[in-house]
Amino acid sequence: MSQWFTSITHALHLEGVLAALKKKPVTHHRHTIWYYFGGLTLFFLIIQFVTGILLLFYYVPSAEGAHESVKRIMTEIPFGWLIRSMHSWGANIFIAFMIIHMFSTFFLRSYRHPRELMWITGVILMLLALGFGFTGYLLPWDETAFFATQIGAETPAEVPILGEFVALMIKGAKEVGGATLTRMFALHVGVFPLITLLVVLAHITMIMLFGVSTPKSAVVRGEEKYFSSYLPKELAVWLIGFAVFIVIAALYPWELGRAYDMANPTEPPDNVHPEWYFMFLFQTLRIMPEWMAFLGFGLFLVFWAVAPFLDRHAKNKVHTIVGIFILLVIAAMTVMAYSELEPVGETPGVLKVQGDSDVLNAIWFFAVMSLFTAFVILLWRKRNKRLQELENGGAGEQPKI
Amino acid sequence: MEGKRRNVLKGIFGATAAFFTAPIVYAVGRFISHIPDVKSGGSATLAASEVAPSKLIRVGEEPVVVIKEKDGDIRAFTATCTHLKCIVSYRPQTSDFFCKCHRGEYDTNGVNVPGTRPKRPLTELTVNKDGETLTISLTPLKPQNA
Repeated sequence: MSQWFTSITHALHLEGVLAALKKKPVTHHRHTIWYYFGGLTLFFLIIQFVTGILLLFYYVPSAEGAHESVKRIMTEIPFGWLIRSMHSWGANIFIAFMIIHMFSTFFLRSYRHPRELMWITGVILMLLALGFGFTGYLLPWDETAFFATQIGAETPAEVPILGEFVALMIKGAKEVGGATLTRMFALHVGVFPLITLLVVLAHITMIMLFGVSTPKSAVVRGEEKYFSSYLPKELAVWLIGFAVFIVIAALYPWELGRAYDMANPTEPPDNVHPEWYFMFLFQTLRIMPEWMAFLGFGLFLVFWAVAPFLDRHAKNKVHTIVGIFILLVIAAMTVMAYSELEPVGETPGVLKVQGDSDVLNAIWFFAVMSLFTAFVILLWRKRNKRLQELENGGAGEQPKI
Repeated sequence: MEGKRRNVLKGIFGATAAFFTAPIVYAVGRFISHIPDVKSGGSATLAASEVAPSKLIRVGEEPVVVIKEKDGDIRAFTATCTHLKCIVSYRPQTSDFFCKCHRGEYDTNGVNVPGTRPKRPLTELTVNKDGETLTISLTPLKPQNA
């Protein structure tokens, strides 16, 4: 295996790159924990790609066939309910980790020189992630998805000059319908993944080139090599994340609402609302004019993208205050939106499919094995570290394993 | 002299790039921005007994709400909320219209209630009654913006 690896790296002239990567250090300080969220975001993006590709084998992207095909995936295709649940849960977890990663990067000022471009690629990835969320929401073609997309697609129309055109481009027709679905599908599985791959590649390349940033205020307690010491820990965190994720996806399978029937219009279901990460925008649209909401969001985006170029002074407190303000506004709007939802009983016609007890037991076993593997990786890393210390003449006990 | 030549070369390069890029951008732009025409107009029929006390139907591409008022009068309105195009519901208890998406409200004549999100009224449509059969057409009952 190692010989193959050496031959390939030699053939591709990658020895120099690998040698540099081997030396890449990761510093230890009280904020080190935030580093893991970047890796977790990447891990869940990979899960989204894999589960998304699997769903493509059976999904039918048309207003007539979409809902039925998702229903078929959930009820007829072996493990279809699990893969669809993983894709839906994974999308939410991916965005949650991305938000944590982004705000931690912001507050730790990791975007500062020379990482400005890295930050900008991160902002592009945030927009792509929200784009994935928006376009993917309509694909099951259920009532909630239809009306949430209707609101989302129509909102830009209220913005003067280009708004109407943007809304039409999103919908692909005068009204949300089959043309919108195929357009969303094209963006969700074609355009966005391609751009995402390129931007993620650029983002990761820059991490490799510049290394992880150490906050200026942090007291560095030491450092470790990325590949030999930090990466095993990151892998262990991924495995722990995966174990928790698969259990959630299996125990709380994602539901499928009633199909939206174009021929027979229906009222929106009670409490129609978008996913949690769009709730702040949904609430903003309830309480203020669209142009004002868009202006606010636009200003936020511009500030967010150019933040590294504005933040030049070592003791700049303005950015921290602005960051906290943005977080508070988003949190307040989200809480307000959820608190205004009225309690409703079980929605009729909602499909919920779960594997039988044998499958659930197997998933539990799989999750426990993931945790165990994470534990083994951590032990192996500890042992390796001790051996290295001994080789380097460091004092300490002989490793017990 | 050298600089001038370089500038000319840069200009030629830029023009060539624009020459090849512009038609591609134009064609792709036209391709993705094609919006199919919607057939406007049309009518739909339903039985008066189906309106109890309201019924959502589609007339052509347009969702329409047909309502039966307390005095037995049957009226039809466009059901698309003028705020963000959700579909409105008729509330028989209060004889008004409500949009669940952003809590838009319209009075019994489909006029948007000030202070709620919609800025324009619903359009009242023409209803023709022939015995038990109702024919709803997309012709506004009153001239719009009257």
